[in-house]
Amino acid sequence: MNGAAVLEQGLAAGFTAGLTEGFTAGQAMGWMQLLLAFAIAQQSLEHLLRGDRAIFGARLLLCLVMALGIGGAWPVWGLWVISLAMLWRYQGPYNGGSDKMTMLILSCLSLAHLSTTPFWQEMALSYLAVQLVLSYFVSGWIKVINPEWQRGEALRDVFRFSAYPVSEALRSWADHPRLLFVMGWTVMLFELLFPLALLHPVALKLALLCAAGFHFSNACFFASTGFSGSGSVPIRP
Amino acid sequence: MLRLISLFLPTVIPSWRFFQTVAPSPRIEYRLILGEQPGDWHEDRPRPAHLSFAQILRRMLWNPDWNEQLYLVSCAERLIEAPSQHSLDEINTRVARLLPKGPQLLQFRLVFVSREGARIVKLVEYESTPVPLAGLQEEAA
Repeated sequence: MNGAAVLEQGLAAGFTAGLTEGFTAGQAMGWMQLLLAFAIAQQSLEHLLRGDRAIFGARLLLCLVMALGIGGAWPVWGLWVISLAMLWRYQGPYNGGSDKMTMLILSCLSLAHLSTTPFWQEMALSYLAVQLVLSYFVSGWIKVINPEWQRGEALRDVFRFSAYPVSEALRSWADHPRLLFVMGWTVMLFELLFPLALLHPVALKLALLCAAGFHFSNACFFASTGFSGSGSVPIRP
Repeated sequence: MLRLISLFLPTVIPSWRFFQTVAPSPRIEYRLILGEQPGDWHEDRPRPAHLSFAQILRRMLWNPDWNEQLYLVSCAERLIEAPSQHSLDEINTRVARLLPKGPQLLQFRLVFVSREGARIVKLVEYESTPVPLAGLQEEAA
């Protein structure tokens, strides 16, 4: 899910950029469905090794259909239903925030396909854009008001004992408090300032570049995006 | 139906509160019991000591084991916060799947790691009832 999760965040962010740079809703939806098909297919292939083959076989097939642009809205609705079935099967997200983001994107796309006028289509997709911006801003806000984050202690704890570092060697990063202090504040400032990127196309491109770097480093250290911590894992809301 | 709605709503109205605080972090440990003889506790899926950059890049694209490990962390947390047969079964089955077949019973425990001042402390918060390994492995197959 890791590469896929980065892609999901990327496509949601790219979609936001698209809306602000004059894509029509239909064009934005076309690109989103193509990228989402790749992300979900990659997740589904990983799942197929672990069982639940009926769910993930069907999911993979729908991804192929959606990527080929066949069937209009039906593959999107089908993937939405399967995501709902997955929530039931695992009693919550399997891949943490990545699954949540997939469900959010599919819900907005499904509503956009149901919309009878361009206005409501854009409203459905705009909701996704708003959530994308909130995903950074709220996440930055709840950190910056926390004294542990202000002191850089929280990020040290992530490396010291959380379930996320992908190898034991990475835990030694906890022994570099100054570096983690700077990294922590860089992340917080980026997340808090992200909404301002919508004010100018150049700023948005720069912000998306920073976001790509942020998620890439998360993937390197924790084999996840920030979305993995969204619900039920140790670094909790 | 209400349960399904309660699972669905947080996906479309998310809180986005990533990494607000660093809570105690669960580790799953298991042991095999043969007759009256319990074996030693072992950590389930210990992380590797070191990964090369190439391995890290490869794992971004293909890493079902790590994703399953994070799912088990979620199940471990759910088991403490809102105990359910689902979480218990998921942990039992997925731990059993990686073990060699045998006539033993499988038991797991949840050890929560946290920081108290400058010290890292571990606290066992849950011990499961031992269940036959063979039965779990049949389910997992």
